[in-house]
Amino acid sequence: MLQILIQGLLLSGLYALIAMGFTLIFSIGRVLNLAYGAYLMVGGYMYFWVSQTLGMPKLMGVAVAALLGVLMGVLKYRLIVKTLKGDHVAVEISTLILAVVIQAGIVLVFGDSSKILLPIVPGVINVAGASVTYNILIATLISWAILLGLYAFVRLTHTGRAMQAVSMDAKGAAISGIDPDRINLITWGISGALGALGGVFFASYTQLSPSMWVAPLIISVAVVIVGGIGSIIGTLVVAHIVGFLEVIVVATLAPELRGVFTMLLIIGVLVTRPQGLFGREEL
Amino acid sequence: MGLRWFHYVLWGGLISGMFLLPQVVSNGTLRTMIFANYLAIFAISWDVLSGRTGYVSFGHPFLIGIGAYTTAILTKRFDVPVEISIPVAVVVTMIAGLLVLLPALRIRGSYFALVTLAFMELLYQLVQVIRPDLTGGTRGMSGIQTLTRGAANGYYLSTALMLSVAVSMWLLMKTRIGTALAAIGMNEESVRGSGLSTTRLKAFAFLTSALIAGLGGAFYVHYLGSLAPRALFDINFLFTIIVAALLGGTSTIIGPMIGAFFMTFLLEYLRPVLPGAERYFVYGAIALLLYMYQPKGLVELAQRGFQRLRKGGLA
Repeated sequence: MLQILIQGLLLSGLYALIAMGFTLIFSIGRVLNLAYGAYLMVGGYMYFWVSQTLGMPKLMGVAVAALLGVLMGVLKYRLIVKTLKGDHVAVEISTLILAVVIQAGIVLVFGDSSKILLPIVPGVINVAGASVTYNILIATLISWAILLGLYAFVRLTHTGRAMQAVSMDAKGAAISGIDPDRINLITWGISGALGALGGVFFASYTQLSPSMWVAPLIISVAVVIVGGIGSIIGTLVVAHIVGFLEVIVVATLAPELRGVFTMLLIIGVLVTRPQGLFGREEL
Repeated sequence: MGLRWFHYVLWGGLISGMFLLPQVVSNGTLRTMIFANYLAIFAISWDVLSGRTGYVSFGHPFLIGIGAYTTAILTKRFDVPVEISIPVAVVVTMIAGLLVLLPALRIRGSYFALVTLAFMELLYQLVQVIRPDLTGGTRGMSGIQTLTRGAANGYYLSTALMLSVAVSMWLLMKTRIGTALAAIGMNEESVRGSGLSTTRLKAFAFLTSALIAGLGGAFYVHYLGSLAPRALFDINFLFTIIVAALLGGTSTIIGPMIGAFFMTFLLEYLRPVLPGAERYFVYGAIALLLYMYQPKGLVELAQRGFQRLRKGGLA
């Protein structure tokens, strides 16, 4: 029981970090970025390349991954989303194609076989009979810190409040002297960085493989759909629902069924409450 | 229906050309063309629903997979003859299409795409866990009865299937129903405002799409003789179908066909140059660029080129 609680808390923290970047984009731009999973994959691989192939310090690897994430987010906004001028279906289709292209690119550079990441922080601690690696413990703590920081950023800074304004009404924000284009660009950059960071931790939790982007994408979609569009608190709550659901299913039913209830949750909520469990909130 | 003489000539030319092809080309090319035929069927099925009505489905592998699995399980595990199992598979696929349809009546846009994607992933996970003695679990099934022997026979069967699907869909789209479906894609509210039941029209589009997907999936699995969950319920497979329809040009019949053949042959010709998954890199990049700059696809490009040529000739 205690073990389920601990495992659930750890996994949910990771899921909250993964889903947050996706939520931000959905909240500000109202677009589903189906290539979001590919950010995670590129982040994970970049960390692997810098820290394990080149043998640079691990922090350097994390920083390079995050920078690359920012770059990818900004480029994608400039080259794809802005060109398509907010045609949602077109953005979804082209980001899906982009995800497959990135996957093929990863295979091209790193090969088809999956790779094991060395733990970012080695070591194991025993908590109430459950062995918890320092790695996932640190991942959870860092993701909590990042989420709190993001919440403060959105609530307290001028840029953060401008993001809120754009997510409520882009035209109204533009009238008040905010440049929605710049805010969008910043949001896409932050989302890319969050995705790449989440990818580093996610990859050290599972492993690196060219098809690893699908699972986190589904989780992000579930969190956003169930939590209602783009609220940080909703994202946090639902990440815990999804995380605990998974841990409980693995512990009590069968490990193969771990994703089934996430999918049923998506379908059920979309059909019965398209606005999400927590309704429509602004960030 | 506004059939003109050149319609008969063009379709007749295409049909006779495709059936005469085995006299000219090698067996290897024929095998590639079989895959192109099935991809064309799947792309037409996707286009009937998503290209016309604008409800983008990310779950077509779900429908195709249900058709394929139903007939495979019936023939292999219960020794049901193919003549019965394929129609049953089509009916089961249509019922599954209805399942997807129920939520779709309430939601649209991005959310519809997500529901269909979730259905596909759901089936992928369930098929491996529930009754693996029937579905073959993670490894899938092999040794499924095949309908034809040899490249030429398989080619004739798949071509006949593809062309009959294409011609019947083309005729259907010439009717008032086809016009109404395309109108839903442009503005659903005004279609409802004109006194048409969009619910019924959408249901019709879904069922037609599911029918073609089930038919294609069932025949496809009886051509391959094997199936595996990761090959069917896969985002790459979905990508192939959608890109084939988009590349050729949505809301046409010839578009998905051209797209499917273009895609299959491009992948085939890239094989010696780039073995492995790198082909998807080149292919995806081409698809992305084309989609960004000409969302209406190759058919539109060809039409524009043709018009420019005619104007140039007159001037």
